[in-house]
Parts: sequence; C-alpha cells; structure tokens
Amino acid sequence: MLHIENLHVAIGDKPILTGIDLDVKAGEVHAIMGPNGSGKSTLAQVLAGREGYTVTEGSVRYLGQDLLALEPEQRARAGVFLAFQYPLEIPGVANVQLLRTALNSVRLARGEPEFDAMDFLDTVKSKLALLGMDESFLYRAVNEGFSGGEKKRNEILQMAVLEPRLAILDETDSGLDIDALKTVAHGVNALKHPERAVILVTHYQRLLDYIVPDQVHVLAGGRIVRSGDARLALELEDRGYGWLTPDTQEGTRL
Amino acid sequence: MNALTASRYRQAFDSIRERVGRIGPRHQALERFLASGLPTTREEDWKYTSLDNLERVDWHAPVQRTKDVSTEGYPGAVLKFSNGRMTDSNSQMLHARSLAAHADAAVVTRYQGQLIGTLSSGAALAEINSALWQDGLLLHVPAGWKGSPWFAVHGASEADAMLHVRNLIVLEAGAEALLVEHYRGAPDLPYWSNPVTEIVLGEGAWLTHLKLTEEGTAATHTGLTVVQQARHSRYHALSINVGGRLVRHDTWVNLDEAGAECQLDGLFVADARRHLDQHLHVNHAAPHTISRQTWRGIAAGRGRGVFDARVVVQPGALKADAQQSSRNLLLSPQAEIDVKPQLEIYADDVKCGHGATVGQLDEAQVFYLRSRGIGAEAAHALLLRGFAEEALGLLKHTGLTDWLEPHLANALRLNKERTA
Repeated sequence: MLHIENLHVAIGDKPILTGIDLDVKAGEVHAIMGPNGSGKSTLAQVLAGREGYTVTEGSVRYLGQDLLALEPEQRARAGVFLAFQYPLEIPGVANVQLLRTALNSVRLARGEPEFDAMDFLDTVKSKLALLGMDESFLYRAVNEGFSGGEKKRNEILQMAVLEPRLAILDETDSGLDIDALKTVAHGVNALKHPERAVILVTHYQRLLDYIVPDQVHVLAGGRIVRSGDARLALELEDRGYGWLTPDTQEGTRL
Repeated sequence: MNALTASRYRQAFDSIRERVGRIGPRHQALERFLASGLPTTREEDWKYTSLDNLERVDWHAPVQRTKDVSTEGYPGAVLKFSNGRMTDSNSQMLHARSLAAHADAAVVTRYQGQLIGTLSSGAALAEINSALWQDGLLLHVPAGWKGSPWFAVHGASEADAMLHVRNLIVLEAGAEALLVEHYRGAPDLPYWSNPVTEIVLGEGAWLTHLKLTEEGTAATHTGLTVVQQARHSRYHALSINVGGRLVRHDTWVNLDEAGAECQLDGLFVADARRHLDQHLHVNHAAPHTISRQTWRGIAAGRGRGVFDARVVVQPGALKADAQQSSRNLLLSPQAEIDVKPQLEIYADDVKCGHGATVGQLDEAQVFYLRSRGIGAEAAHALLLRGFAEEALGLLKHTGLTDWLEPHLANALRLNKERTA
C-alpha cells in the first residue's frame, strides 16, 4: 500500500530524514518509535503533504501513485489521514461543519454522492457512539478550548468519519490519560481492516499494549535503525533508545 | 463647492420640488450643504475616505420608479424601495409605512431632523439628504408592542442617480422590534446611495437592527444612522458590508439615560478594489450605560477597509462600561485595513477596554483542513466564515441565520478574480 524508498527530507538546508525505507502492506499496523528529534513527526507531516519540507531524494508510492506529487487534499481524498500531534483550533467553525465538508469532499472524490444533513448526522452519531463521545462535541468550535485529551479524541472522530485507507497517528497517545488512550486505541482497532493500514508514530510503548503492531521500526538520526515485531517495542521499554543510537547522546530511558 | 457642482444639486432640487412638501426647510438644508460642500480628507473623521469621485459625476434625482424584480424571499414583512421610493408594501402591514406618505404624522413632525442636528462631523451628507429625500421607511412601534421582523429592501437601477433615502424609526417605551435594511443595486451601475436613518428608542425599548449592504460594484454608499436612547433601552446593530465601490457608514449613538445599552457589531469584506469604511461614534452621557463593539474585517485584492470607532465617556457617566474588539484579516499584500479605536474617558469608576488586531490567515489551519480532504479554496472559505462568525453573535436570537447565510457565503467566496 505504502512504499517509501530512500526518502531524504530537509527543512531549508538542514537534513531531517536521511534515507527512509519502509513498506506498509494493507491490513498491517506499523509502529514508528524513536527519541525526540529523530524525524518521526517530519515523516508523518511529509506523508500528509505539509509545506515547508523539501524532499531531496527518494520516492513515496501509495496505492500505485506518486504520493509526493499530490496536494494535501488529494492525499486525504485518496485515503491518507494524519492525526495531528497538535490539532489546530479553528474558532467559529463547528466540528460538525468541518466533518461534513470533509466527508463530502472525500465522498465526491470517490465518486459517491454527497450526504444530505440527515444521512450525515446518522453516520456521525454512529461514530460518536462507537467512540463513546458525547453529541455536544459536534457543535463546539473545532478544538477550541478542548483539553489535550479532547483534541486527540476529536482527531480519532475525524478519522472514524473519513474511514481512511492509511491512517497515520502522530503521537496521538502523548499526554493522554488512560481513558482517552483506550478511546484512541478503540477507534484505531475499529478501523482495522484487511484493506487498511495504520502507522503509529509514538515515543512510548504504552499505546502498543492496546494496539498490537505487526512491525515496529526505530527511527534515529533520520533513518530507520532497527525493525522488528511487537517484542522490539517491549525491549525499547526496558532498554531505552540509547543502545540503538550510539552516535547520538540520547540514552533516554522511558 | 464650484458653480458647476452646485448647479447639479440645485437642478436635482428643482426636479423634485413639485413632488415633496414643506419646501422651506429643505431649501435651507440645500443652502447649508452648498455652503459647506462634501466632507473632505482634511477633516480628521474623513481622512481615510475621499469623496472626490462624487464630485465628478453628473448626479440627478432619480426619475424611474421601476418595480423591484428581485425574487429573493424575506422571512418577514417586506417594504420595497426602488431608486429611493417605495414601490411595494403590504397595506396590512403594522406600524411600518412610507415616510413620504406620512410626512405630516405627529411622530414625524416631532422627531424628524432632531438627531442629525447633533452631529459633529459629516453633517453635510445629512443636509443634502434633508434637502433631496423623496421617501423612506417610517417605523413607529407603539409602547409594549413586540412583533415579527420588518425588511426594508432598497434597489437601485438608474445610472447617475443619487438616492437620498430617509428613514425614521421610533420605538415607544417597552417596544421590541427587529428591522433589516438591505441595500443592493445593479452591478457596474454608478449610483450614489446616501440614506439617513434616525432612531429614537423609548424607555426599555429594544431594537435589533441588521444592515446588509450589498451595493453594486460601481456604487457609492454613504450611510448615516443616528440613535438616541432613553433609560434601559437597547440598540443592537449588526452591519454587514460586502458590496459597493466606496462604502462608508457612520453610526452615532447617544446613550442619554441611565442603563441604556448599545451593541454595534459588524463585518466587512473589502475585496477587489472596494473601499469599505465604518465609523462608530458612541457617547456615554449617563451612568450605568453600556456599549459593545465586535467587528471583523477582511480585505483582499486591492481592497481597503477602515474601522474607526470613537467612544466618549462623559463626566458623570459613572459605571459606564465600554468594550471594543476589532480583528482584521489581510488576504493579499496590496490589501489594507486601518484600525483606529479611540476611547476618551472623562469619568471615574468606569470599565473600558479595547483590542484591535490585523493579521493573516493561519497557514497551519489551512493545512489542517486540507489534510481532511477539503480543497484549498473551500478551506479558505471555511476559515473566513469561522472568522466572521465571531461578529455575528447578534444573529442568534433573530431567526435570520438561514436567510443571511447565502449572502455571507457569496461574500466569502473570495476566488482569484475577486482577490486580484
């Protein structure tokens, strides 16, 4: 589904990613772990199409397309979803407005008719119920005045409504209490499907207790330095990242 | 004023004198106008607004009385005006009628012209209106009466016509009313709309007043509203300015008695080469008076916006409470917005504050929306709509949201053509 080859990314003159190779197949869950500053978030942002990053080398294929040639909205319509590490506040725009505009944009791109107000509300309410979220969420301005946990749940709600093929969660678990963490995990697990894939970008092993990854990759210094199965995450929990990144001074223990 | 320009106004006056009554006071107003001329940028209150364009056109009083062909539906009682004169109204309509047809009514004799005598700037525009008005809305709501909304809809379809609509709104004690003024006109048609609205609110009266200005792209609109408020009355105004070539609104509110409250909110969208200008003048002249201003401005292309709000708290206006908020967005490097909030406080123990910002759309927000599948243009429109929403709080209790929404959507669809 996603094939990243020798990806080099810089911000200005500063190289951030220095040769990423990653292959994600439909139905798989991949966890990308690594110390702060290793380039995890950059990878997530580049896949979603954020401006300000320069791809200096390499390629990203997604469902047979050149992903990097697509505008952010085209990527989203093709099924790529990024749950933001820091979701944006949009005063004056109700959650329901964003969800409806987004879902209908995606549906039109898929050749499906737009939802009318009733169908849309039915869909959204079923997703709210799935995530155990209150309906009042819909009528609040997007993320405005939300707690950290509410913002992350809101990302998961958007994901559940848009039903992406490839979901990328950028540190969605950071700063969450255990209940919010379970909501997030539940949302991701509910999305699991042989035709879908998930990339979890995370600093901690904690989320992986609830969402078991097929593969775990450790990113350090802009490259994947080690890949393994779910046991690698447990090993990182025990030993930190230091043993994998001898050239950096990051011996951070979790 | 030079002889040529002056002769245009005299000719206009001569062309209507057979049709209107009480010619004496009108003639005096004309002479005062000719003596002073139009306001110029040398006056502090007019330094951002040049009316030079008005000097160059051979204006005449409108002669056509075309029926309004617009099919727009309004959720309330509708009075239609075309080229400055009433063309259509429901004769069963309560309390709202043609001012021209009731120029001798007691309420008109008592109030008309009283308030414009209090203006400290821009009075010339009121004078020429007093000389040349042919019709307008007379809304006289009896004490304690509460009712459904009135829509005064003004259309313009005559080139080089000057439309001096004159409105008088009187709410007796305890009355509550919702009035919508909608100004629009044919695109690319040069005309000048110069409406004057005098509003008198009795004790405890509450007027919600929405003014939607969607004038044609070649139009000039200089609108004046003057409000006098008795004890515990409320004047809630929302001004939405999204049309015209040059538009200026002056709103003067006199909080003359204790407990009077005004809220003067608004939104302007100055795209293309529009110049949209809003001037608020609030006078706290009594204790426990309250004023609120929440404005949002957007300028795109070579658009120019001005927000100039002056709040004066007079000695003796104890416990006055005045708050101003003006937030503005510039969507292009050539766009300009001038913000001039002014608080003049001559009393102790008052609560006053203001905040004004001019900024740009947040690219991170745009990316967030695009990453959800929303196209760039739609993302901009959604963000602008959200930005505008903060100024539209007064709409919530009016039931007019659905009616207004398409007008807002149209104004905020700032595609390439309109931002060039």
